[in-house]
Amino acid sequence: MLGTAPPPSVTPLLAPAERLAVRRPGAAATTPPSYWGALEPLLPQVRKPAQYVGGEHNQVVTPWQAAATRWLLCYPDTYEVGQPNQGIQILYEVLNERATALAERAYAPWVDLEALQREHDIPTFSLETHRPLWAFDVFAVSLPHELGHTNLLNLLDLGRVPHRAADRGALDPIVLVGGHAAYNPEPLAPFVDAAVMGDGEEVVLAIDDVVRRWKHDHLEAHADGTDAASPGPEARHVLLRRLADVEGVYVPAFYAPRYHDDGRLKRTVPVEPGVPALVPKRTVQDLEAWPYPRKQLVPMTETVHERFSVEIFRGCTRGCRFCQAGMITRPVRERRPETVQRLVEEGVRDTGFEEVGLLSLSSADHSAIGPIARDLADTYEGTTTSLSLPSTRVDAFNVTLSNELARNGRRTGLTFAPEAGSERMRAVINKMVSEDDLLRTAEIAFSEGWRHIKLYFMVGLPTETDEDVLAIAELGIETYLLARRHGRANKVTISVGGFVPKPHTPFQWAAQDPPEEIRRKLSLIRHAIKDHSGLKLRTNDPEEGVIEGLLARGDRRVAAAVERAWQLGARFDGWHEMPTLATWRQALEETGVDLAWFSYRERDQREALPWDHLDAGLDKDWLWEDWQDAQGDQQLDDCRWSACYDCGVCPGLSIEHDTGYTGGYRLPVLPQGLGGSDALPVTPERYAAGG
Amino acid sequence: MTQRYRIRWTKVGRTRFVSARDLTSVWERALRRADLPIAYSEGFTPHAKVSFPDALPVSVSSTGEYAELTFAAPIVPERDLARLSAALPEGMDVLTYLVVPDGAPKLARMLRATLWELVWPPADAAALTELLRRRGDALLRADHAEVIRHRPDGDRTVDVRPAVLDLATSLRRAPDGADARTVLRAVLRNDGPTVRPTDLFAALSHDDIAAPPTTCRVAQGEHVPEGLREALSGEVAPLVPDVDAEAA
Repeated sequence: MLGTAPPPSVTPLLAPAERLAVRRPGAAATTPPSYWGALEPLLPQVRKPAQYVGGEHNQVVTPWQAAATRWLLCYPDTYEVGQPNQGIQILYEVLNERATALAERAYAPWVDLEALQREHDIPTFSLETHRPLWAFDVFAVSLPHELGHTNLLNLLDLGRVPHRAADRGALDPIVLVGGHAAYNPEPLAPFVDAAVMGDGEEVVLAIDDVVRRWKHDHLEAHADGTDAASPGPEARHVLLRRLADVEGVYVPAFYAPRYHDDGRLKRTVPVEPGVPALVPKRTVQDLEAWPYPRKQLVPMTETVHERFSVEIFRGCTRGCRFCQAGMITRPVRERRPETVQRLVEEGVRDTGFEEVGLLSLSSADHSAIGPIARDLADTYEGTTTSLSLPSTRVDAFNVTLSNELARNGRRTGLTFAPEAGSERMRAVINKMVSEDDLLRTAEIAFSEGWRHIKLYFMVGLPTETDEDVLAIAELGIETYLLARRHGRANKVTISVGGFVPKPHTPFQWAAQDPPEEIRRKLSLIRHAIKDHSGLKLRTNDPEEGVIEGLLARGDRRVAAAVERAWQLGARFDGWHEMPTLATWRQALEETGVDLAWFSYRERDQREALPWDHLDAGLDKDWLWEDWQDAQGDQQLDDCRWSACYDCGVCPGLSIEHDTGYTGGYRLPVLPQGLGGSDALPVTPERYAAGG
Repeated sequence: MTQRYRIRWTKVGRTRFVSARDLTSVWERALRRADLPIAYSEGFTPHAKVSFPDALPVSVSSTGEYAELTFAAPIVPERDLARLSAALPEGMDVLTYLVVPDGAPKLARMLRATLWELVWPPADAAALTELLRRRGDALLRADHAEVIRHRPDGDRTVDVRPAVLDLATSLRRAPDGADARTVLRAVLRNDGPTVRPTDLFAALSHDDIAAPPTTCRVAQGEHVPEGLREALSGEVAPLVPDVDAEAA
C-alpha cells in the first residue's frame, strides 16, 4: 500500500550494559528511549486517547540526567480514576521538589491500548516523557483498595519487569506498594519488593535516600572511566536489606508464613537476620509540615473528581467498626484553618478549578470547621467557585455547614451515611446516630430548601437479621414521606452496598456474606419499598465484593490465585465493563484456593491473621474487645472528646491527636442558630489567636 | 459592559487528542488561571461564555480553530490574550483576534470553508504524489463521489463531491533537506452536509493508499482561487503551500 509509514523503531535497550547505563545516577546516565513516537500513531485507534498524552498543567518534567533517583508513581487503574488520587499528587510534589529526584506518573492502559502496546512492543510508559517502566529505579504503586492487584501484575509484565520479585535482578526497578490495601500485602507478597503502611510523605524521602546511596555504591561509573560490571543478584539483596531498615518498610521476601496442619496460619516470621518481627506503620505527626498539594495537576480530559482538594485533617476516631480507613489512619491530625484557607486560595488561583473539596474521613469533625467554612464561603461568595465537603455525619450541624458552603445558591443534594437501618445494627457498627437524628436532620434539610437526600447503607454486617435489613427500607420510606411533605419534587435515594470485612478492624474476624445472601437481602429491601415508586434504590452488583473480600483478608497462598487470574486475563476487577469473576473462579479452582474458607468463615480469637506482623498501631486485644462489644450492641465514644479507651495507637507510635478539641472544647453540633451566623463562627481556643 | 472577541487558535501536538467535550473545561480553567474577566451565563450552573463554532474530530490537529469569548469587563487584548495563550496547555495557542462589533454576522457565517491538509510519510512520495494528483483531478471532473462512512450505528453513503471546492497534491521538501513528503490540500465547504477529511481520503484511496498519519485543519474562511482567505486576518492560505515561505 502506497504511503505506508515504516514502523517506528525504538531500540528495546535490554542488554545489561545498556540497562546499567540507563540506570546510572545523574549525568553519567544514558537517557532511555521515549515511546511517544511509537505511541502517537496508535492513539487515534483507542478510546479516550487524551488520557495517555500527559502535558497537564503542573506536570513536572526533569531531564533524566539531572536526577540521581527516578520514580514512577502509579495508580493501577485508568487515568480517569487514578488521576485525582491525593496520595500520588502529594508524593509527586514531595519527590519532585527534591533536587536529586525525579518522579513521573503511570496509569493502567485500557484493554484497547494494551492490545496495541503488546502488538507494537510498547512497554508501560510514564505520562510525562513516555519513558519505559523498566528504566526507573522505583515503581511505586498506590493500592487504595484490592481491585488493582491484577492490574499491577499486568503493568509490570507490560513494562518488561518480571512480575515475580524473585526473578528480578539488580537492574530491575524496586516495586513498592502503599495505600490502604498495603496493610495486608500478603496476597501480593511474591510480586512486590516492599510495602509501606501509613503516611507517605516522610518515608518516600527515606526510601529515596536509601536508593540514592545504593546507586552510588553499585551503579555509579568508576572515576577512572572504566565501566562498573553489571551488579549481580547480591546487589539487589543489599538494597532490599537496606530498605528493610527504614522504619515502616516491609520486605515480604524476608518473612515467611508458618501454617498448622489444618491450614490455619500459625504465624509469619522473619527469615532474614535483623529485620523487625513487627513492622510499624508510618505516621506524620505534624500535617502543617506537609502543606500539599500546592501545584495540583489539572487534567485535560474527564476524571472522576475534578476539583482542587485539600485534606483538612487526617485520621478519624469515630470508631465505626466496619471502617478500615478510620482504624488505620489514627490519630487525628488537623490542619490549621489559616493553612486550609491559604492552600485553597493559592490552589484555586494556580489551577483554575471551579470546585474546592475539603477532604477527610468526616470533614464536619474538624474542630474549626465552622470558621473554615465561613471564611471560604466569604472568600468565594458571588463567584463561580463552589465548595464541597464530603461528610458522613448525620446531624443538623452538617446541614448548617452545607448551607454555608452552598451560599452561592445551589442547594441540590445532601448525602448522609447512617450505614445501617436499625438502632441495634448501628450500635453494632458503632455509628452513633439515632433514627430521630436522621429524621430531624432530613426535616431541617428539606425545610431549608434542599431537594434531594441520599442515604448510604450496608447489608451483610455481622449479627444482621432480616429485621435489620428491612429497617433500611423503613428508614428510607420514612425519609421519603417526609421529603414529599416539603415538596412533591423532592427526592430520596437509598444506596446499599455489601459489607466487606477488612484487616485491622474489629470486624476482621467476621464472616463475609456470600453474594447470594447479599442479593437476597437487597431483594428484601427492593420488595419492601415497591409501593413508593419515588424512593430510589441504588445497589452494587453483590459479586463485586467477592474478589475484594478474598484479597483483603487473604494470606500468601492467595497470591497463586492472583497470578493465575491475571494470566487467564483478569484486569480491571472493579469495572462493570470487565466481568472477571468467572475468570477468578477458574483461577481459584486451578490453584486450590478456597474462597469460602478465606471469606465466609468467622475466625476465632486464637487464630493468627496474615497481617499480625504488620502493626497499624491498634492493639489486637483492643480490637478483639471491640469486636465482642459489637456483638453485645455496645457503643464506644469518640476519644477526641471523651476518655481514651486504649486502642493502642498513640502510645505505641509515640504520637497523639493534634486537634482543637483539647481543653474541653466541643463542636457546636446542635440546632441553636441553625442557618444563622452564631453556630458557625465558633473558633476553638487553640486556633483563636491565629498563632 | 461586555466585550466580545473572536479568536483563531491552534490545537496541535498532544492537545490534538483532547476531545471536543473536554474543551470547555480546559478553556474555562485556563481563563481562570490567566485571571481574565470572562463573562458567565446565568443560572444555577453558570458556564464561562466561550463558544466554539464546531467540533474537530479527536486526533486531528489544527491551526484553524476558532472561538468566541465574551468578557464581563474590558481587556487589553494584546497583553491579555497572550496571557490566555500562555495559560492554555502546550499546543493550544491564540494566533489572532478580532473585536466583534454589535450586529456582526455569526462567526459560523465567516467560516464557510475549511482548508484541510493531509500529509503522508516520505515512503513512495513521488509515486504517491503522482497517483493522488490523477485521482484528485478525476474527482474534480466528476459530478459525484460516493463513499461509505463506517459508524458504530451503521454504514452510511456520503457524496463527497459537492463539498469539494478545490484540491491539490504537492511534494513538500523539508527545509532541513530530509525526505520529501506528499501533501494533499483541499478546500471543503462547511455549509451543507458534513464531509470530513476522512471521507475525502476514502474517495481518493481506492484501498491502495495508506491513511495519512497526520491530518490538519489549516484554516477556515472563504474559498478563493488561490486557496482560502482566512476569516479573521484576511490572509490567503495557498492551496499549494509555498515551501520556502513555510520554512522561513
